[in-house]
Amino acid sequence: MPRTTTLDCPGCPPFRALTFDSLGLVKVVEAREKQVAVPRVVDRWGEPDSSKCVLAVSLTDRKSDPLLAVARKNGQVEVLNPVNGDLQAAIVNINDTDIRSEENAIVGLHLFAKQNLELASRSCTLMTCSTKGNASVKSIELTNSSTESICVGSSKTWSVCAGGNITCCKVDGSEKYALFGGKGVEVNFWDLDNCSKIWNAKSPPANSLGIFTPTWFTCATFLGKDDHRKFVAGTNSHQVRLYDISAQRRPVISFDFRETSIRAVAEDINGYSIYIGNGSGDLASVDMRTGKLLGCFTGKCSGSIRSIVRHTELPIIASCGLDSYLRIWDTKTRQLLSAVFLKQHLMHAVFDYNFNSEG
Amino acid sequence: MGGKRKKSDAEDDESSLAGKDDGQGSKSNKKMKMEVLPSMIKNKEKRSAVHAKLKQQKKLEKRKKAKARETAEKRALELGEEPPEKKVPRTIENTREADETVCKPDDEELFAGNDADEFSSVLKRQQTPKILITTCRFNSTRGPAFISELLSVIPNSHYYKRGTYDLKKVLEYAKNKDFTSIIVVHTNRREPDALLIIGVPDGPTAHFKLSKLVLRKDIKGHGNPTGHKPELVLNNFTTRLGHRIGRLIQSLFPQDPEFKGRRVVTFHNQRDFIFFRHHRYIFETRESKKANSEGKAKDSKGEIVPETKTIVRLQECGPRFTLKLISLQHGTFDTKGGEYEWVHKPEMDTSRRRFFL
Repeated sequence: MPRTTTLDCPGCPPFRALTFDSLGLVKVVEAREKQVAVPRVVDRWGEPDSSKCVLAVSLTDRKSDPLLAVARKNGQVEVLNPVNGDLQAAIVNINDTDIRSEENAIVGLHLFAKQNLELASRSCTLMTCSTKGNASVKSIELTNSSTESICVGSSKTWSVCAGGNITCCKVDGSEKYALFGGKGVEVNFWDLDNCSKIWNAKSPPANSLGIFTPTWFTCATFLGKDDHRKFVAGTNSHQVRLYDISAQRRPVISFDFRETSIRAVAEDINGYSIYIGNGSGDLASVDMRTGKLLGCFTGKCSGSIRSIVRHTELPIIASCGLDSYLRIWDTKTRQLLSAVFLKQHLMHAVFDYNFNSEG
Repeated sequence: MGGKRKKSDAEDDESSLAGKDDGQGSKSNKKMKMEVLPSMIKNKEKRSAVHAKLKQQKKLEKRKKAKARETAEKRALELGEEPPEKKVPRTIENTREADETVCKPDDEELFAGNDADEFSSVLKRQQTPKILITTCRFNSTRGPAFISELLSVIPNSHYYKRGTYDLKKVLEYAKNKDFTSIIVVHTNRREPDALLIIGVPDGPTAHFKLSKLVLRKDIKGHGNPTGHKPELVLNNFTTRLGHRIGRLIQSLFPQDPEFKGRRVVTFHNQRDFIFFRHHRYIFETRESKKANSEGKAKDSKGEIVPETKTIVRLQECGPRFTLKLISLQHGTFDTKGGEYEWVHKPEMDTSRRRFFL
């Protein structure tokens, strides 16, 4: 007898996730029930507008006063309340020095979790980085209005690279260091306190045929929360590299994964395994101590993966991408727990860890 | 199956009467099957005889059923009752696996997405489509013939020799010359076997497998198309992916058809295969059947007005081919670092009732 219904996915534990799509919408996905929950969209923030396409997202997850920063295509950075989506602050043009343009879109955004002591409590500190390599750290005041917020305190701006395009930017767990990499830019390591470059990667040597693959980093992540020295970067030539800044300037481990470019890398909480996603929708987890593939996540994922997030408490990861599905996977069994169709090309996803299903 | 049910019945302490009946029924059924099943007979002659007999029986039964249905319908008509409902056969299409990505007509996000996508400037007539057709590096026999027919199908399309240019160079050229799409016909062993449709300047890139190509001259009684802008029919592009593919195809054709030309180009999607047909049509008025008109004429008893009926006649113009989507890439052609919106993977073929377009 032919099957006429779709296969049901086993439900997933209760969670709350926010997804950001190419029309600038923020959708809240929640799974509420205790045991076997089916996640569904509970809320949608914003109006569909292609110029508000989300480029970068950062969430500070605190019990009190959590904040969510969203960088949009039109050069705007908005600070939202991740609980109800209220706009807390908005900066129209983050880089005062250059013109807003397609080429100078924001690629990296980080909202500092540590409160700056000398400033008032109603403010937050943001680090942004644009494609051309203009990084800046700013403090802004939260005003609850959509008009332009005022910058308070010190704002630092510096240039990360001379040429090339930055595509990935990451701040480590202690929020003292940041790394930048991109097309034609080797991975840079910066000290955020005094804006100085500490370390610069060296491109791997040409192969036995003398062919040199041009540098093109697409994504990067730190391996552990408290160790800023080790990080993993994915390249456009489907290579995953582990760098250790205390060891050498060339990658410690480097291996290939499938045939299309690596698009997303996320670290696990155990500090040695990572999750990688590529341009044709393959998702896998890798043990970075050995560089061995632990296993692939199979579940009919057909579009490029843009973002992978690991839940800090539950053993689940979420992946989203161009196939407009938010998929929840079990990290242990590597099984698809559930998938939610969200209609647009998804750019990012974040978990809200402070969610309790009773609330 | 029968055996199993019987076992469960035996296990059941409170086996009801119906249950017992069922068990017996299945038992007798099993016996009959044991007797009849032709495949169990080893002697071929006997087996074929039994098989033929069975077949004959089935045929008779079917005929009887059809007759009974017909009489029931007739009687219902005579009595002025509602005729019994016609049974709809179960096909693979109408038992398709439920898909949440199927577009709904009242989805505002869909329309907002449409407004923002790459084709909207062409589809809103802000830009006239201009198509560049080229081939793979080696191209002979059926390839050029197919291209010359494509040129007659798609208005404002231009053929450029591929030469030894990279596809990315061709793309750059097309961008500079304000083309809106590129079609690459890929041939293998002198037979076109793949079609690449690239949106210019920023994607997407759709890769189709091309099969069952019949050129115009091989179609019996084919017509020759005129130079008018054709009408476009896109059938069954239901899901989000299908919708996108439909829009990609739509953006190849001008959005203002000349109905005078009576020329229609059809892309019909059925079970993920996209069938391409190209027709000319004509509406003709003809006198309808005599028996009917006579009856009417008797009623009116006077001027005999010949009852007329418009009929449509179709003539196929060719070419005729079938497309199957292999991948849809985000952005323009880039095999190394490209991101895919959709790729066909073998693990997705879990059921033959599952379709993606």
